[in-house]
Amino acid sequence: MRSCLLFCFSVWIAVFSHGQDSSVQIDNAGAVRIMQLRRDGPTRVRYPDALPSLLELMNERSLANFDPDPLFIESLADERLFEHPVLYVNCDELPNFDFSSEENEALRRYMKLGGFVYLDAGIKASFLGTDLGHSYAAWEERAEVRQWFEQLFPDQPFSPLPRNHEIFRTFYKGLPDNEYLRLEEDQKRLPDTVLTFVEQEKWPQGTYSMVGIKVNDRLACVASPICAMGWGRDEFGAWIPPISFRVRESAEDFDETLQVASFAGQTYEVTREDGLKDEIYLVPGNRPLWVKEPTGRWRIFKYYSGEEISNYAHSFYARLGMNVFLYALLN
Amino acid sequence: MDFAKKRGLAMMGVRILPLVFALGISKLVYSQDVISPVSTEGNQTENNQTELTLPAMRSTIDNTLNQASQKLKSSKVEERVGAAKLLGKYANAQVSLLLIGALDDSSELVRRAVMVSLVEHFNNGSPIYEQALVEKIFSKIGDPDVEVRRETSALIPRLIPGLMRSGMERIQVNGRSILRSIPGKLRQDLQDLANQALIDPDSIVRQNVLKHHFSLRFQMESQTFARLLGDKDVSVLLVALDQARMYAAQSGTYDQMEALTKHSDVGVRAKLARTVQSLGRSFPQYRKILRILTNDPVDEVATLSAVDLARLGERVSNEMIDRIIAYLSKAKGLFGKAESLFYSLSALGSDAKRIYKALLEHPSASMRAQAWVRHLSLSEGWKNASSWRDALQDRDLKVRKGVLSLLRGRVEQINRNDLSYLIKSRHVEVRSFASELLLVAEKEVVKECFFDLLIDEDSLVRSTTLRALAKIQADGWVDLHARSLKDKDYAIQRAAMDGLLGDHQVGVPALLKYLRQYPAERISTLARRELQQMGINP
Repeated sequence: MRSCLLFCFSVWIAVFSHGQDSSVQIDNAGAVRIMQLRRDGPTRVRYPDALPSLLELMNERSLANFDPDPLFIESLADERLFEHPVLYVNCDELPNFDFSSEENEALRRYMKLGGFVYLDAGIKASFLGTDLGHSYAAWEERAEVRQWFEQLFPDQPFSPLPRNHEIFRTFYKGLPDNEYLRLEEDQKRLPDTVLTFVEQEKWPQGTYSMVGIKVNDRLACVASPICAMGWGRDEFGAWIPPISFRVRESAEDFDETLQVASFAGQTYEVTREDGLKDEIYLVPGNRPLWVKEPTGRWRIFKYYSGEEISNYAHSFYARLGMNVFLYALLN
Repeated sequence: MDFAKKRGLAMMGVRILPLVFALGISKLVYSQDVISPVSTEGNQTENNQTELTLPAMRSTIDNTLNQASQKLKSSKVEERVGAAKLLGKYANAQVSLLLIGALDDSSELVRRAVMVSLVEHFNNGSPIYEQALVEKIFSKIGDPDVEVRRETSALIPRLIPGLMRSGMERIQVNGRSILRSIPGKLRQDLQDLANQALIDPDSIVRQNVLKHHFSLRFQMESQTFARLLGDKDVSVLLVALDQARMYAAQSGTYDQMEALTKHSDVGVRAKLARTVQSLGRSFPQYRKILRILTNDPVDEVATLSAVDLARLGERVSNEMIDRIIAYLSKAKGLFGKAESLFYSLSALGSDAKRIYKALLEHPSASMRAQAWVRHLSLSEGWKNASSWRDALQDRDLKVRKGVLSLLRGRVEQINRNDLSYLIKSRHVEVRSFASELLLVAEKEVVKECFFDLLIDEDSLVRSTTLRALAKIQADGWVDLHARSLKDKDYAIQRAAMDGLLGDHQVGVPALLKYLRQYPAERISTLARRELQQMGINP
């Protein structure tokens, strides 16, 4: 793995430097530095520990060499953009999606020259409102992101990444097992219903809802529901902050019951992986209640929290984050 | 005994009344809450989520709840599970009561669904404070099913207000009847269950109960705590270390904590160091553990322990300082344990100087920035420009900004060479700082250097220079400012205006003259207002 990484890093760097006609900045004794866009400086930071923790974790768990100190840029017109291969953007931290034409041109050029853009929270259902900590795994980018990138690449819309895409298995494959989670062999990782849903529907084989844009036949940008909430660790290695799960559960008579159950909210459509639409029932400002699926099946949303849920979710998001960043450097 | 009976009856009344009240209210609310068919046509929202037209026939809340409560009594497990899940969506006291009634269901699937729905009620604005009901929920900490126990243990913080309710009792003292408060206390049988949960086979349950046992107002036996300090699960161990202070004086705790110095997990040993550092003041014997940890094979644990000992007043050896330098030099950045260690170095006093100096060339910008700031602070380096000149040429803005923040207001003099060096910098904030330093430069030096700053390509540097020149009233400053009022750049005009306004004798007349000549210029309106506020009518 190490030799593979080093080889690819040097190949990438060579390609990138050639195209850009300037050298890639390798600080910290050869470490790759990840850039993060923060339009408002440190004033709108939702998960300050997230990216540094993930970079540190990648250094611990793989033989990759990342500088755990991200380079924060406030504008895409910053000349340092072209000195580093990966740009991370937490879309929930952006005050708006208004970018000047100069910035858009810089980003377009960056992606054309080999830069990779990771739009965290680039997928987000509007009905989640201001509760930024929530994600909803739709299979299309949020409207603001679509409008932004239409200015950059009008002929290249985002398209869903298939579950068998290499990005989901660049380094880790599958979901965390008991050994990874440091649990006893016979210890329950998750409640039964949760585990079944997670393994079969939520994150099958460690995949997630992602969309991307290809530039020159290379995946140059991906957008995902918020993942940064799962990356933070405190100084003793414990995950922060706690995360809870939303799962869909069924019951024998839900198809009849939920169809007529008392309800005083609104319904929304969300695009599924297969392109069909789920019909979500929710009272605005609250968590979604239940869903009518395109098959005609009705299921209820249940929320699980607790140490085991949080640890599992963190492990998943961290593994996914590692896969994305390493993919960005290897491809 | 009489008192106890009376108290029991009184408490029952207290418990039932709010429940009846809550049920009445909820009935009132829901009787009005008949849901009519809703139609929201074509209301487009962001992200292509479209509000749809709802199906025509929806049941009322009463009907929905009645049906679910009937199903909760069904002989079919699946129906009971479905009803329990559905009831989670209707958070109110009446529904909570229905769910609590199903907590002893024979099927663990139903009990799980009930617990998850009760958690939903707590999270959706319908917490339960009724002590009898909360005690019933808490009793599921002893459920045979591990999922139910986990859910219950995770819910403990939400149950505590109801569990720990204090009360009042009426007693007779010297023939007089008086009211006396009774502190909230966990019922003995529940306390036994909680104690049992501390040695639960499931680590999540152990961890949750351990974390909250203090709020449940009971203390475990010393051997139980010692056992938890030897737990196989790292998360349980980390929580146990958090609670160590309460049991530090008890037998077995010290030995178990000393044994943790050999634990395989670095995080545990680091946490041990931090815990022992805190205990070291009250329980000096625990300092021995820190001394053991200074020999830890992992640098971060050893160095953290050494610095913690320094905080307790013990001197750190030169060898350990070398080890700290080696560790921080290898650290990728100012993050995690390296960050904790770095910010603890102040405990070393002047011994830390050598460490900061060694980190001035660190590859990480954040480390360099802090090292420079601390180095200059400890050595009073702002007194000598040669100490900080190099920092201002650092490639990273973070370093330059950090050092500039420290220097501003502290530098008392600057010579020609140093000022020229700053003026030639390619970084605008450094050149701007050079402009500020005109305030402390000798008159001759100002005379030689200010022109380079006035023709700087950056308006911030030029405007800062103007402000400095006005402040020191350098030769010819009034003419210079008067001319600068005609500059195209508003920042320059503004700096010139501010400078002239600051001098009544010559500055203000020059500004008045400008206003007479150029009454319609952009800066003129503001200048007139400023002058009027000073009592001068332009």
